[in-house]
Amino acid sequence: MSVETRAAQGQGRVLVQEADFDAGALLGELRERVAGKAGAIVSFTGYVRDYADSAPTQSLYLEHYPGMCEREIEALCAGAQARWNVQDCLVVHRVGELRNSDQIVFVAAASAHRGDAFRACEYIIDALKTRAPFWKRETLANGERFWVQQKDADAAKTAQWDNPTET
Amino acid sequence: MANGTTINVLYFAQVAELTRVRQESWPLPAPIRGSDWLSELQARYPQLAPATRLKLAVNQYHVTHDCLIQPGDELAVFEPVTGG
Repeated sequence: MSVETRAAQGQGRVLVQEADFDAGALLGELRERVAGKAGAIVSFTGYVRDYADSAPTQSLYLEHYPGMCEREIEALCAGAQARWNVQDCLVVHRVGELRNSDQIVFVAAASAHRGDAFRACEYIIDALKTRAPFWKRETLANGERFWVQQKDADAAKTAQWDNPTET
Repeated sequence: MANGTTINVLYFAQVAELTRVRQESWPLPAPIRGSDWLSELQARYPQLAPATRLKLAVNQYHVTHDCLIQPGDELAVFEPVTGG
């Protein structure tokens, strides 16, 4: 389904889904939406990797708060557009059971100039990590299971966007 | 369903595992401060003690523990988020 079709159906530019996504196709859809206006699109794709030191990651389960999740991410996109010259954004985040090396998240921002596109994309993924209500539960190859804890470094990164003068 | 004298409470992730419930109706005849409500929650579910960083959302917006929770609200309880 194209982004335009989703927008027409009121689903907007933020998708939370169990299914995998085609990052190349998503880039193409955003490119079509901003054709002739944007000189740059910056995208980020996140993948499942080994989080724990003790044993290899077998799988990752992502839980979310439906409704709030989409609204929070949409607010981040709107925030990026208010702050930088950004024509449009696109965010897809997966939930449910994921395997090692699977795609988790896709963020793209389109702008007239690359600087704004880079900043908007980084801002959205940084802020998503501390604001969008998702929770990861990791299962290791040795059977150990635990909920991933938010990293202080992630919270600090988001805070830095809010208070850019502070270090 | 939440009405004039209750709130609809949602639990997520590790919090839901500890309470063993994902959603429940909670009596609330009058507004209550988030921090006071969290004390009630800890009294009802002592097993939440290890979860020291509980966060709240009211009607799907992040709020601080100072927030006043109103009868009829949807209140979500969870640990710091870990998406992305």
